[in-house]
Amino acid sequence: MSIFIDQKTNVCVQGITGSEGSFWTKHMMDLGTHVVCGATPGKEGQLVEGVPVYHSVKNAMKHHKIDATMLFVPPKMTKDAVFEALDAGIKKIVTIADGIPLHEMMDIRVRALEEKAFVVGGNTSGVISPKEAMMGSFPHWIERVYKKGSVGVMTRSGSLTNEVTAMIVEAGYGVSSLIGVGGDPVPGARFAEFLPLFEADPETNAVVIIGELGGTMEEEVAEAMMNGTFTKPLVAFLGGRTAPKGQKMGHAGAIITGGKGSVQHKIEVLEKAGAKVADRPRKVGKLLEELGVIKK
Amino acid sequence: MKLYEYQAKTVFSEHQIPTPKRILIEREDTSIHFEEVGYPCVVKAQVLSGGRGKRGLIQVVHNEKDANLQIKRLFEIEPSMKHLLIEEAIHIDKEIYVSITVDAPSGKAVLIASESGGVEIENLAVEHPELILKEEIDLSYGLMPHQARHIAYQMNLSTNQTKAMIQILMNLYQVFIKYDAELVEINPLFATKEDTLVAGDGKIMIDDNSMFRQPRFAQQEADYSSEAAYEASVEGIPFIQFDGDIGLMCAGAGLTTTVYDLIHYEGGTVANYLEFGGPNYKKAVKAMEICLKVPSKVILIVTFGTIARADVMAEGIVEAISKLKPDRPIVTCIRGTNEAHAVELLRKAGLTPLFDTEEAVRTAVRLAKGETL
Repeated sequence: MSIFIDQKTNVCVQGITGSEGSFWTKHMMDLGTHVVCGATPGKEGQLVEGVPVYHSVKNAMKHHKIDATMLFVPPKMTKDAVFEALDAGIKKIVTIADGIPLHEMMDIRVRALEEKAFVVGGNTSGVISPKEAMMGSFPHWIERVYKKGSVGVMTRSGSLTNEVTAMIVEAGYGVSSLIGVGGDPVPGARFAEFLPLFEADPETNAVVIIGELGGTMEEEVAEAMMNGTFTKPLVAFLGGRTAPKGQKMGHAGAIITGGKGSVQHKIEVLEKAGAKVADRPRKVGKLLEELGVIKK
Repeated sequence: MKLYEYQAKTVFSEHQIPTPKRILIEREDTSIHFEEVGYPCVVKAQVLSGGRGKRGLIQVVHNEKDANLQIKRLFEIEPSMKHLLIEEAIHIDKEIYVSITVDAPSGKAVLIASESGGVEIENLAVEHPELILKEEIDLSYGLMPHQARHIAYQMNLSTNQTKAMIQILMNLYQVFIKYDAELVEINPLFATKEDTLVAGDGKIMIDDNSMFRQPRFAQQEADYSSEAAYEASVEGIPFIQFDGDIGLMCAGAGLTTTVYDLIHYEGGTVANYLEFGGPNYKKAVKAMEICLKVPSKVILIVTFGTIARADVMAEGIVEAISKLKPDRPIVTCIRGTNEAHAVELLRKAGLTPLFDTEEAVRTAVRLAKGETL
């Protein structure tokens, strides 16, 4: 089992004919992802990795059942591509684009909430359930990072996720599903929105969140633990403890404004809610043990 | 990107937001037309850091002699500062706070206002949140006049000032949209004894992802604190200079920030933050060139890339070392896609690649302290 995506999810790839689009479509399929079609304006009739390409998502929908769409689309065109998918009625969208203009991302977030859709990203590697399926750009073949197991992971980072996940695996655990919400100040979907999915997943025994300073996503996770929405063990790793105040270091979202958003505040509310907070990646595995999470 | 106060005020003036009479001067200027603002006037340092008042960077002066003295002093204590702003003094009746920023959870903009503005606004937000008024703005409709009225009528202003406030709020929203802002702020917005409103300060932060369509404020070399900072910016490489010992050349914002933390836990200090991940992962040569311009005792390279392949980054590092012949030790910890090949490349180049971030950090800290390994 996994959340968000499994081998039965019918996936469309927008921007499938580009170099990144075709490269990662191949790897998505190699892992087991059920890619059914692609969409690139002007390229209808082509095949990429044996997958038929259409001018538009709506055209593709005439021929295929689509549950989710993966965008390999440049940042300036992302809003249009996300709206195209939402207009076609798709409720699961992943966009890896790094550099989406802030005000366009705000439009995407508002629209996603209205449509009750998940728009994961931008500025992320995407979503993966090891040994099952992925939407995004993960080297799923690296065993010491993408090992199948029972720990759900949510992250705002890319390289740091590999670092932390490698430590989870080193400690004897594996990953059920990994969701990269991305490092932008306004992500299309937020940590807390995936907690009910992890809560309901029988194969997820615990969740690790990889956060950092800035924003309020970690605080929202603490709130979900306090109000009983999420009851499984949770460990957080937070980067930026020693970052100089007021300096924009790390992701665009990582700047402290006022008291809220500081790592100290996040630690305080997470611990109060019963979470364990690691100060370095290697501690994450140890804290999972302390919470009594079975190694799997 | 954060604009200077003088830039923000120029934008405000263009959008009919009232600003004080002012003169902008440069370091070299000798003949200053103080008569344009009159006495007393206010000499304001144009630096991007906050808390200028508390740091003595804003001074009220009453004659030309004092003004020139303060100008000289401020340029001396801020050696990299390019501009000073000299403004007419305002007869202040009260200080209002106004801003428009982004509410990430809802994806909407939010207009924030308080009739108790000024330097203590952050404390007020904590201690008396009820004195901070908020209006949510849906970008697809924009700020509605009724929202601006609702805020303005709660500021306890005169009829004239209330009218002015409504117009200022509507105009401020236009600035927010036109400049792809993360934040536009007027703090304080002075209510004057002459029954007007005037922007005492101005802050505009433009979203970095939107800079491609905001050419007006594209940065110039003169705006940068160092050659390294300018070159990094031209290349689109995130870079911050500090004054410690270890030059960071890492990939990924989150990982670089974590390595920064780990160095401090181990008792080390950081010379610079540089991140060459994402779209920059093939720029190892340029990244190292920038790092070498910063005084440091060791360069620490930590990556764990996926699209930013380990072998490509290792290749770049090997090329950088052979081209630039660095005068200081390099510690590498490169993992990710095709990492076995990366290790091979680094070994061939005579490096001792490490595989564990904490070990790499400890090694760099020891080298920086002059210990032999």
